[in-house]
Amino acid sequence: MSSSQTEPKGYKSYLEEDGGRKGIFKWILSTDHKRIGLMYLYAMMGWFIIGVVLGLLMKLELIAPGKTLMGAQTYNATFTVHGVIMIFLIVIPGLPAVFGNFMLPIQIGAKDVFFPRLNLFSWYIYVLGGILVIISLFGNGAPDTGWTFYAPYSFKTGTNMLPAALGAFVLGFSSILTGLNFIVTIHRMRAPGMTWFKMPLFPWTLYATGWIQLLATPVVGITLLMVAGERILGIGFFDPAKGGDPLLYQHLFWIYSHPAVYIMILPAMGAISEIIPTFVKKTIFGYKAIVFSTLAIAFVGYFVWGHHMYTSGMSGTALWAFSLLTFIVAIPSAIKVFNWISTMHQGSISTEVPFLWAASFIFVFMIGGLTGLVLGSLATDVHVHDTAFVVAHFHFIVFGGVGFAFFGAMHYWFPKIFGRKYDSGWAKTGWITFFIGFVTLYGPMFYLGIAGMPRRYFDYLDEFHGPNIISTFGALVMIAGFLIILVNLIKSARQGERTTEMNPWGGTNLEWQVPTPPPLENFEEIPVIEKATYKFD
Amino acid sequence: MKRTLITLILILSLLPISAQTDADIEIGVIEKLDQYIPLDAMLVNEEGDTVLIGDLIDKPTILNFVYYRCPGICSPLMDGLADAMDGNDLVLGEDYQALTISFDPREQTFLAVRKKNNYLNLMEKKEQAEKGWLFFTSDSASIVRLTEAAGFRYKPTGNDFIHSATLIILDPEGKITRYMNGIYFLPFELKMSLLEASEGKSGPTINRVLQYCYSYDPEGQKYVLNITKVSATLIIFFAIVLLVALFIFRKRKTTKS
Repeated sequence: MSSSQTEPKGYKSYLEEDGGRKGIFKWILSTDHKRIGLMYLYAMMGWFIIGVVLGLLMKLELIAPGKTLMGAQTYNATFTVHGVIMIFLIVIPGLPAVFGNFMLPIQIGAKDVFFPRLNLFSWYIYVLGGILVIISLFGNGAPDTGWTFYAPYSFKTGTNMLPAALGAFVLGFSSILTGLNFIVTIHRMRAPGMTWFKMPLFPWTLYATGWIQLLATPVVGITLLMVAGERILGIGFFDPAKGGDPLLYQHLFWIYSHPAVYIMILPAMGAISEIIPTFVKKTIFGYKAIVFSTLAIAFVGYFVWGHHMYTSGMSGTALWAFSLLTFIVAIPSAIKVFNWISTMHQGSISTEVPFLWAASFIFVFMIGGLTGLVLGSLATDVHVHDTAFVVAHFHFIVFGGVGFAFFGAMHYWFPKIFGRKYDSGWAKTGWITFFIGFVTLYGPMFYLGIAGMPRRYFDYLDEFHGPNIISTFGALVMIAGFLIILVNLIKSARQGERTTEMNPWGGTNLEWQVPTPPPLENFEEIPVIEKATYKFD
Repeated sequence: MKRTLITLILILSLLPISAQTDADIEIGVIEKLDQYIPLDAMLVNEEGDTVLIGDLIDKPTILNFVYYRCPGICSPLMDGLADAMDGNDLVLGEDYQALTISFDPREQTFLAVRKKNNYLNLMEKKEQAEKGWLFFTSDSASIVRLTEAAGFRYKPTGNDFIHSATLIILDPEGKITRYMNGIYFLPFELKMSLLEASEGKSGPTINRVLQYCYSYDPEGQKYVLNITKVSATLIIFFAIVLLVALFIFRKRKTTKS
């Protein structure tokens, strides 16, 4: 890709540009997309630590049968809050909010997003949603419905379910506005010469994600309002005693929440598609196939929600139709994996930290994907439904997929974002520890699920003891890895060796052609794009 | 290419509206425009005499099915009808007439008369309504023939019925020319329907959208906003507007700073 180069000399980076504001106001009043991206990052980091602690508490409870740390009610509240935080506050906003905000305008050659103030507003809404989730922890006790808020329990439980659901509702608006902002930005602000098929793949995935956010998120918003109406006003939407239908809730919830999985995973796939070509020094294999598979996932993803409900009660026809569609949606994901592997084939691979994350992403994502097919098949799903198998599957996809891609993207763009280098040795140690811990933590849960251990119980039969010990041990290893990564990155961001190298990895996209760290408006002069993306000379 | 895509999306967005086929409807209205009601069906008039419906229909006619003990939708329907008849300048009883028929065969003439008196007292055109808005009961066989021919489907639940609210406009020969669904009717629309009926023309059902947006709540015995359908339509509508706006309006030459 060629463009007019911005001279790194004599400029002020976005971190030095404070708009005349002081202290925290430099951040919370800034409409710079880069600062907003970092504000999301810091907020998410805080949430993630809470989520991890809750997850650890659950694993510690499960280290032995019977009550070890907490009883049933506390355990129920723990997995609910863990789920709400991890899903609504971290993985759904996840990559788009942090790296999408930071990198999208730079990658398409723009000075900012199309609606910078709306962008800041989305962050405030995000924080408000988070505060509501915190409020739900106090008062009548933390919600115990599970993050899915299934009716009829969700409007009958005596716990503080409403603030949590309201939090999810408010967070939905943040998601919608970010999606809208990105869609309009991509349509309107691409640099001259950047046609759709010259656009890098990360913006492509953000584009597809934006449409899902825009179309699917209002559904969950309305659904949560209906639950609120049910709880507060006693309207009988879902209550069978009032002529309502609890299955309607499940349908509505999953009509959003399954596409939400693609809100999480598509940008992760985009980040991986950025990392791999850079570290194998080869044009990405099948650019258009990746683009179209991205759009196909976004589209078909709307029609597979029923696979969460195989055992809930649906007609036989609906069951096989949803099963078939679920298998179909696996195809574009497999296309992407094929393309990433093909890109590596005969490439000049350098095993830098971001590449290690990307490679391990493919590994865990494939395990998650293939076990997803086990769940997508009707007969096997009936056997493992609501067991630890499902928990293992979605952690491989959501945490293994999104989490690994997030860490990969973090290590990839870190020098550009902070203008500092991180300690590569520690980063690799953190990665391998995390990876081993991850597989040890969730791997045994596949076995446990097949053997019949149900999910969402604080207790289990003695026969499940062994694998649970391994799993909890894995959790401790993984958290050790996470702490190494976290400390390394925080320390490096504050005290790491400064760098102004524009293109440390030899990447081809526009973010590697602006100064490090980028100036406030990214480009002195908007570049003109002539060549296709991912072309290595 | 872009235009084809937009057209395709527009067509797809209309699909949910036409997804339900008429044959599926257990309760509601299956439109039978241009078909005739059985003119030999027997009704019992306000005097207790048995008459043939064919003998009554000699001018544009508003037919509506209710039951007089109805605790729910029937009264709002007849309120709406009374308002619309008051509000237009055609002469009730001369230019057109209204026939209200109970579809509960257990109901008797005195109920019909009591109901009529209630509504006459509400109306400004009381004198016209006296001879132009007629209330009937009937036997079960005639009721089934009439309601089936009109496409009016209802279902008994306990002592009551679940049913929809609709006005059926007939031409002077007894042919169905229009359905007006809901409980509020624009006097102008009613007038137009009657004028068209006088010429034997049938017309499209403007209020079909109401049927789509509202569903019957058996508990409250009233029509409630069908929140899922309405919101789905709104979401898709705004998404299409955004997509069309993004593709049709030209990209800016320079980026915003």
